[in-house]
Amino acid sequence: MLKFPQIPRGKIYVMLAVLSWLALLLVNLIRVFGEINQMEGLIGKEITWILEILFFIWLYIFFNDAIKKNQNRNFIFFIWRAASTALMATGTSFLIIFFYYLLGDSRLSEDPLLKNFFYHINFAVVSIFLISTTLSWKHLILYQKSKAIVQQWQAYEVILLISMFFVLISQASFNYGFMFGLIFLIIYGAILSINLKWIPYLTFREKWKSILFLVIIIACTVYLFFRLVSYTQQNIHFINLSENLFLLGLFVFVLLYAVFSSLVTLFNLPTSSVFEQKLTEAISFQKLSQSIKPGENEEQVLDILMDSCMSAAYVDAAWLELYPSEPEQSSKIQLQKFISNGERQEVMTLLKRAAPFAAYFNGQTTDRTEYLYGQIPHEIYKSVLVLPVSANKKKLGDIFLLKEVKDGFNKEMINIISTFAGQTSISIENHRLLNEAIRNERYREELEIAQRVQRSLLPSELHHNGCFEIDGFSAAADEVGGDYYETYRFDKNNFALIIGDVSGKGTSAAFNMSQMKGVFHSLVQLNLPPKDFLSKANNALSRCLEKNNFITTTYYTISTLTKEINFARAGHCPTLYYSKEKGISRFLNIKGMGLGIVRNDGYENYLEEGYLKYQPGDVMVMYTDGIVEAKNKNNQEFGYDKLRMLLDGLKDFQALEIKRKIVEEVYDFVGRETLPDDDYSILVIKFKA
Amino acid sequence: MLTINKKGEEGYLIISLEGEVDASNSVELDEVIQEVLDEDIKNILVNAHELQYISSAGLGVFMSYLEDFNEKNIQFIIYGLNEKVMNVFHILGLDQLMNIKDTREEAEKSLHEA
Repeated sequence: MLKFPQIPRGKIYVMLAVLSWLALLLVNLIRVFGEINQMEGLIGKEITWILEILFFIWLYIFFNDAIKKNQNRNFIFFIWRAASTALMATGTSFLIIFFYYLLGDSRLSEDPLLKNFFYHINFAVVSIFLISTTLSWKHLILYQKSKAIVQQWQAYEVILLISMFFVLISQASFNYGFMFGLIFLIIYGAILSINLKWIPYLTFREKWKSILFLVIIIACTVYLFFRLVSYTQQNIHFINLSENLFLLGLFVFVLLYAVFSSLVTLFNLPTSSVFEQKLTEAISFQKLSQSIKPGENEEQVLDILMDSCMSAAYVDAAWLELYPSEPEQSSKIQLQKFISNGERQEVMTLLKRAAPFAAYFNGQTTDRTEYLYGQIPHEIYKSVLVLPVSANKKKLGDIFLLKEVKDGFNKEMINIISTFAGQTSISIENHRLLNEAIRNERYREELEIAQRVQRSLLPSELHHNGCFEIDGFSAAADEVGGDYYETYRFDKNNFALIIGDVSGKGTSAAFNMSQMKGVFHSLVQLNLPPKDFLSKANNALSRCLEKNNFITTTYYTISTLTKEINFARAGHCPTLYYSKEKGISRFLNIKGMGLGIVRNDGYENYLEEGYLKYQPGDVMVMYTDGIVEAKNKNNQEFGYDKLRMLLDGLKDFQALEIKRKIVEEVYDFVGRETLPDDDYSILVIKFKA
Repeated sequence: MLTINKKGEEGYLIISLEGEVDASNSVELDEVIQEVLDEDIKNILVNAHELQYISSAGLGVFMSYLEDFNEKNIQFIIYGLNEKVMNVFHILGLDQLMNIKDTREEAEKSLHEA
């Protein structure tokens, strides 16, 4: 495969344009040569026309591409581009005249071939100027385009294309058809030329610049037109390249648009400052309404607010007084602009005496003031506008704007400044809310981690053997809770069991609960009698728990071989026990004391050890105080009696069912829509053998 | 809701508790007891006639001062506990450590005996 070198499109178009121009030149020179030597009909005129059309088309495509690449440049760039091309074309034209001037009366100056050559150069630069300028105008016309304008322009391009070929149809110049076409092009060009939306966006300086450039363009266009006409009139040997509908149409269009633009720009000059002002206001507003980005602070927004206010009302001096965030601090003066400390204090003293400011600064107005405006008898500053800035219903501070003229602030200025202040408040509020939200989100994530960790602290499986069933349930009121239960298997017949509740709730309770778990796993391996176990646990926890924290637990050892239960109660809710033999439930009330309450060796004296022998069909219910203290809407507690009677009714169910029904009953009692205010935990054992 | 009132009587001070002590307001109870301790009062009575409920956090407050009372030889007597609240003290075992009486008269008598 042959590989073509990558040539940029623009260069190809230029090459094609140059080639077609050279061909045009060659053809015409040959023809002139032939004419001079009376050899007619050497080359048909049509070939000239077609080469000319090709030249136009390549130029048009090339400049269309070139303009597209520069689409984001400002308007002055495009006008300058047109003006510079115009100067280049005019300069070339002058150089040719100068060249002939140098030749003087020599024979060469009358040579038709040389003249023809220069005519072609002149024609080429004029074409370049007209086509590139037309495309620059296209860009300006299509600024803020609507569909209608785009369609108009496309139609214009089609008409231009047709006008190129017109010469092939009717070779006689200035007949009716030609005139009609020309007038049509002029009118259409004029209609397009009223699209001047770009002008208001120029600044004052840019407007002057563009007027200058446009005048250059107008002058050059007129000159080039007459120059081309004069060429045509001087010489009869030429094939007239310029009497082309396309070229004349472009002449008119370029000229019309330049004239329109310069006039409109000129008339826009006096109002341009107003438009600029509105534009800066809009930009200020946009800056203020953008929420404060991370890394920026409120002061930067206040700074933008100050600048915006100052430029909106042509303020001569200003400062910002920020109220202290802590009551004992004094107010902070910030962003003092174009005013000395001394003058500021002078103005402040005057303000405290003059209406309407006096009442405000002496704290007599309680209603929300939007702004205060008045005059002061100061030697420099005559009018003052005071603007409170607030966020989250709290006042942040006051903005003071001073002007050297009396009645310096009109209604529009005050309106726009108030709007700025309002927008600033919103920005600052949003900023604060966002910060808060981020902080809360972090806390929430931390809590979720705590929740996950804590859930893993409760056993997923409870040790047991075929002699008894066991089932448990635990729910925390907050994200994390302080309830705890766990089982341990010494061997196939011996088990340990613990249920506990940490004082308080929430995160601190959860921390203490995890300590309890550690203590349980350390001590349970010693296989101690329940009383000794609790005594040692109390010793350990007394060193860990805070002064006002304690833990209540009951510790059980169960032997399924001897059917014995030993237990000791460390201040925990008494175990509910259903005895099949007696046919009733009762609470196993033995003496006990919470862990961490007595932090010395005497603790053991407050404990008692319970012992019982179980029979198949007995049920043991262990629970935390959340269950019995659960309150309903009428502030009644679930209570011990209700729990006892409930078990009497459920004794024949399996452990899982008993647990489920008790939990359901508690939730029904509390009301499902109310949130539990304590942790609920329950463990149920049913003995089978 | 918890309302705490302090009232100085001859030879002792009465702290009256009204309402419920839970995790959210146990700090108030703690502050009052700390104040009384700072005032170096030796005989303190707590009137719990109107105490409807006490949570573990509230019990924790009493518990945390037991050592201080012993060290400083302070008589701290609670009286008038209703059955439900008394049961809470009993289950935790605090009734073994604290001086709890049924009525104000009994509490006063206990003060004089000491």
